[in-house]
Amino acid sequence: MARVALDLPLRANLSALDNIALIPLYQRHYGAAESARQAQAMLDQLGYADIALLRDPDMTPAQRFVTQLARALILKRPRLVIDRPGAMLYDVPYPVFIRQLATQTEMTGTWEIFDFSWNQALYNQALHSE
Amino acid sequence: MNILAATIESLGAKVVGWFAVAYGMFAFLTKAGLLLLHRTTWNRATFDVVVKQVYFTAVQILHVFMGYTLVISWLIITIILSTARDFGLTEFASEMTIRVLVLELLPFLTALFIALRSGSAINTEVALMKVNNELDALAHCKVPPMQFEFLPRLIGGVISVITLAGLAGLLALLMGYLAIYGISTAGFDPYTQTIAKIFDFMIVAGLIVKCGLFGLAVTLIPVTAGLETPKKLFMVPVSVLRGMMRVFFAIVAIEVVSLALKYI
Repeated sequence: MARVALDLPLRANLSALDNIALIPLYQRHYGAAESARQAQAMLDQLGYADIALLRDPDMTPAQRFVTQLARALILKRPRLVIDRPGAMLYDVPYPVFIRQLATQTEMTGTWEIFDFSWNQALYNQALHSE
Repeated sequence: MNILAATIESLGAKVVGWFAVAYGMFAFLTKAGLLLLHRTTWNRATFDVVVKQVYFTAVQILHVFMGYTLVISWLIITIILSTARDFGLTEFASEMTIRVLVLELLPFLTALFIALRSGSAINTEVALMKVNNELDALAHCKVPPMQFEFLPRLIGGVISVITLAGLAGLLALLMGYLAIYGISTAGFDPYTQTIAKIFDFMIVAGLIVKCGLFGLAVTLIPVTAGLETPKKLFMVPVSVLRGMMRVFFAIVAIEVVSLALKYI
């Protein structure tokens, strides 16, 4: 299972690209260039190619979330859990935002969102607006 | 009676604390050592991080360090030479210069320089990584923190201290020659003979081991001190303070043991 959560932050002194590229570099033993290419492809797919060189403190909450999501997706685990997204995406209507990101990726497997029950209304609202 | 019991209790707690810290460092070093022997550790990614660490620890500060070595060496050589002249011991000046500067003072000052510049940075960074859960995040992604974050710092620290102390020693030898014999080549033979007499195998090996231990002290202690930090942001300065005090005591202890082994 791959998790995207507030308690699993990015490495603060690495760029978004390097944070994502760590996975192919250390887990699948690809070279640095190939790992960076895979990381950039993941950001391109999510529609955030331009944040590659940003470091965590320079990112907006949405950019930080996308980088964390890209890092989780590149793990290629069958299950993706987004844990309390409201804590990370406090300045965007996050159910819609996550749905948009999900449609952009080619990942197989399931996405699950764990959230507080009192936020259910936000998800219902997002479904109805479609 | 209560005061006595409290004193003994506090002393005991301190001793147990020291043993726990020493055990933690030893366990960490053993783990790092075992990982060094592991085939999978030696991949391109780890090598790249080691190179980056050596660059940040040694290459980036090279000009400042060499300037500082030049000034210190020149001052010490001038003091030794004028004192030797005053006491009529000029023939021992070159040997004294080499022994004091190259074997003792410069490696010690190099270790202090790296400790203040890189050791404190490592301690702060590791403490912040611990407090911010960045290490847990790396573990979740199956990126081994030891291979990616710690081992390259240890290797980089050892390489940096050995090479910087070596470079400082070479510069001091050159300065010593210039101070004693000037730009004439007349003193080349006696000077190189003195160097050859001092630098036998045991001395060179001892110097390399000492610099290696200095390198380990200025990286291993900050890393372990950073890892001990409780997950509270206000504890980061306390962690750095503790780590740097330990580094200072370790450097002094290594120097004292090295002097004792050589001269007692």
